[in-house]
Amino acid sequence: MSRLRTFWRSLFDVRPGEYLRTTCMTLYLMLVLFAYYILKPVSRAIFLNKFDIDKLPWLYVLIAAVGGILAYFYTKLAVNSSLKRAVLFATIFSVAVLVAFWWLIQLNINWIVYAFNIWVSLFSIILVSQGWLIAANIFSSREAKRLYGILGVGSVIGAAFGGTFTAFTVRLVGTTNLILACAAMVVLSYVPFWFILRDQGRAIATARAASESEEDFSFGEILGNLRRHRHLQVIMAIMIVTFVIDVMVEFQFNAMAKLAYHNKNDLTAFLGNFYGFWLNLLTFVFQFFLTGFVVSRFGVGGTLQIMPLSIAAASIAALVAPSVLSTSATRLTEASTRYSFNKTGMELLYLPLPLALRNRTKAFVDVFVDRFARGLGGMILVLVTSVFAMPVRYVAVMVLVLSLGWIVLSMYAKKEYITTVRHRLESRRLDLESARVSVDDPSTIALLEQTALGDNARQSLYALSLLGEARGYDFQKLLPKLARSSTPEVRTRAYALATQSGFRDLLDVANTDIRSARPNSDQNMLRAAVVYVLTASTETRPLTALLLNHPNTMVAGGALEFLSGQPDLARELITHEWLTQAASNESPLRRCLAAMAVRARGDQGTEALHQLLADRDPSVVKEACKSAAVLQNREYLIPIIRSLADPKLRGAAIEALAAFGGKISGTLGDLLDDEHAPLALRRQIPRVLRLIPAQRSVDILLHSISHANLSIRGSVLRALNRLRETAPDLDYGSTSVHQQLLQEARYYFEMGAALEVFREHGKPHTPAGLLASTLEERLKDALERLFRLLGLKYPQQQIYSAFLAVRRGHGEEASAALEFLDNVLERDVKRFMLPILDDASQLGQRGRDLFGIPAKDAESALRDLLRSGDEWLVACAIATAAQLKLSNLRTEIQSASGEKNSDISLVARDAMAVLA
Amino acid sequence: MNPPNGVGSGSPSVQELNIIEKVIALEGVELLKNLNPDQLSRIATIAREVRYAPGKTIVEPEKALDSLFVILDGEVEISQKGNALTVAKQNDVVGAWALFDSDPMPVTAKTLGDTKLLRISRDDFYDLLSDNMEITAAIFSMLVKRFRQLVQQ
Repeated sequence: MSRLRTFWRSLFDVRPGEYLRTTCMTLYLMLVLFAYYILKPVSRAIFLNKFDIDKLPWLYVLIAAVGGILAYFYTKLAVNSSLKRAVLFATIFSVAVLVAFWWLIQLNINWIVYAFNIWVSLFSIILVSQGWLIAANIFSSREAKRLYGILGVGSVIGAAFGGTFTAFTVRLVGTTNLILACAAMVVLSYVPFWFILRDQGRAIATARAASESEEDFSFGEILGNLRRHRHLQVIMAIMIVTFVIDVMVEFQFNAMAKLAYHNKNDLTAFLGNFYGFWLNLLTFVFQFFLTGFVVSRFGVGGTLQIMPLSIAAASIAALVAPSVLSTSATRLTEASTRYSFNKTGMELLYLPLPLALRNRTKAFVDVFVDRFARGLGGMILVLVTSVFAMPVRYVAVMVLVLSLGWIVLSMYAKKEYITTVRHRLESRRLDLESARVSVDDPSTIALLEQTALGDNARQSLYALSLLGEARGYDFQKLLPKLARSSTPEVRTRAYALATQSGFRDLLDVANTDIRSARPNSDQNMLRAAVVYVLTASTETRPLTALLLNHPNTMVAGGALEFLSGQPDLARELITHEWLTQAASNESPLRRCLAAMAVRARGDQGTEALHQLLADRDPSVVKEACKSAAVLQNREYLIPIIRSLADPKLRGAAIEALAAFGGKISGTLGDLLDDEHAPLALRRQIPRVLRLIPAQRSVDILLHSISHANLSIRGSVLRALNRLRETAPDLDYGSTSVHQQLLQEARYYFEMGAALEVFREHGKPHTPAGLLASTLEERLKDALERLFRLLGLKYPQQQIYSAFLAVRRGHGEEASAALEFLDNVLERDVKRFMLPILDDASQLGQRGRDLFGIPAKDAESALRDLLRSGDEWLVACAIATAAQLKLSNLRTEIQSASGEKNSDISLVARDAMAVLA
Repeated sequence: MNPPNGVGSGSPSVQELNIIEKVIALEGVELLKNLNPDQLSRIATIAREVRYAPGKTIVEPEKALDSLFVILDGEVEISQKGNALTVAKQNDVVGAWALFDSDPMPVTAKTLGDTKLLRISRDDFYDLLSDNMEITAAIFSMLVKRFRQLVQQ
């Protein structure tokens, strides 16, 4: 039963919160595939019925050329459009075009049939690819690994039903009218998309309608990489052969189908059944039940050889006895193995390439190689059938020869794959996480195991982490060797893995490590060994009691780590007396153990943690903070908050406070608002809040978004930006952000107006020069805050890129950023943002026009700065007034000399002496 | 505050420079060139003004350095094994690397006349850095630039 449940979960592991997304996405793909598998047999049947078979190769060439150009332009348009808009547009456009073709085809014009077939090739590119793009935007990569199987099943069901529906209905309504049924399915597909929009609106609205990688390659770069990477040459060669053979096999199949079925509706029904039902069923069976087995049994090379071998065998049958049966078998073999074994094998073959190169190569294959090779296949067929007028069976000979070449290529591919994986592993740059398939190829696994047992600790740990990615990998056979590694990091990992898997054969090695513990032993390794021994031991209680009092604090620490997962045993063994002694021990290491012990047993009946939080040694306070975070007792809040002001304790205090979560948000908000609390402490509050992704955190931060202190304001904005990254669905208060944008813009223009005055006075190493450079810094900071605010309102990543481009100020890059902002920002925001970015020399004039900021002379500018509340600016303004002998400002300077800030009052007294 | 290398604490200035004057003096320090005025003002808060009489040794070989000195007024002769190498003047820095490295410098620095200096001790400097990450980043950036220049040379 449990095996059945495990099997079921391996296929359909949908978790709470994913049901609506998964259902709607599956339905969407199902309906789109349903529509496509009506359209595909209909379009091909209309073509075959209307023209002789020798016209078919020309159609292949036209689809490759015209379809390629149209697909290129679609991608260009789509990368600049949101996915939401593109799906709506594609739905309306597809329905309109389908209805138009339904009408036009009845006019019996030859070129309409060609145009219709080209359009059908585009239909799959646009709607089906769009479907997978929606999926990529609403599921994370981890969710995708679990859920794409379900989406795949939905697609197969849609395709199978589409084909069967076509075969059944064509006899009732005729081939042409099925185009309208297809249009109806496209309309229906928008319904689940509408639900996805309601659930995941933000993700879809901000996503692009085509991946930028689709056009993110240049021929020069790809050709350069092709010259350098033999691995890439093999991939390209295999892809070209695959597509050429695809065209040739399809041609033979269509030719025989045309001969066998003279009636258009019969041909449509046959093609519908073939493509929709049989092909999808076989692909599904291969993919779900055989591909995993084949990959784990025969590896990359074996998996890649299945397709050419089976095509070669089927082609012999098509050559000996050409008929609709033999060519159908060849076509079925070719297409089903291409979508299953070959697809997985190719994914693995791509794997050792660097991620960026892998993505660019895939884009190059999708955009160029696919069409080029199909066009090439079409041209070869034109030569064979039209120029040399050879019978169709000779195409099977060519397929046979090409398949033999393909087998040689796939053997070579395996060799290259292993070499490249080894190189990437050595440089620790093998990225299995991003792979779309589970890596359980035996040669890769063997390589990883070999590396894991090697002498290089870092490579070994890296290989172990990659083995963890492999589906169902059992570490146990490696553990005895890993535990004898000369490097403590590897032994630590071995003990951790043995603890997780309940492996008991490392007890002797671990006991030896514990017995030979020295003060300079590796702490992590010793602790991991202790945890392992205590987990695996049959005499846990006495052994834990013994190790808890071990003279080596690292061993005792391991025992406490073990006890943190055994609360009952912890309460029994960690007595009040033990805790009191440890907490008062001379050695900070023992006091750290006391802090760990409170974490394991709880703080009932002891005040030890209060004492440890106030310890003189930072390492003890850090450990105490961790314990307080686990216990979640609000009594410890004040000492932890106090630790925020100490740079040595700050990190631990922030983590501990964040662990309390939303229940302390109010307290943190009060502290942020408290003018009497030290600034060094208040500045850290946003850093805590940004780790608590809740609406309350956002609200507290938004409340302080206009804080008078610039460092707090900056810290608040940084926290809000981070929160929007981690929790994009929270409400980031559009109104308050807009108001603050206005205030920041006003501040920017005010500082700009002051800078205009002092830029000319600002000789280096004078107070006025210092004031000018401070004002420039204030402008830079204000600009950053403006962009951070924009990042709360608009797509954050793009706003950040625009900010970087503006800050670097390189001609074309900066203009592109301005153009982007011009397109994205609302009119009301653009009104003040663009003048800020446009022309610095016009800043004063723009400030006057937009905010009524008057032109200033030195005296009025300094008077405003003296009232700004910005302490450093005030100090600079006082010194500048003294330098420029502006005695009219004496009253303001006099009042500044009584400031609490001793630096300002000293500057003011010096200035008064000069102006006296 | 730690006493300067080998010569007692020096006399604190009769009239301490105000923060603006200290920042202006620090603007000339090559190591701090990447810092903006705000950041310099924070360094200025830990910079103490000291005065030395003529002929006082402020840096000695074989003795660990714990402070950087910026010359506000006066001159300091830098010599090695009795041979004068250079004379540091106003806004020049003596012992710039003392902020990062406690190893002794193989030179002697001696005041030539009445000399006014700004002194930044390494301990104060580290405390300041630990609380001001952006200053650390700016100094790193300056060091990387210098390293790049060295590599290019």
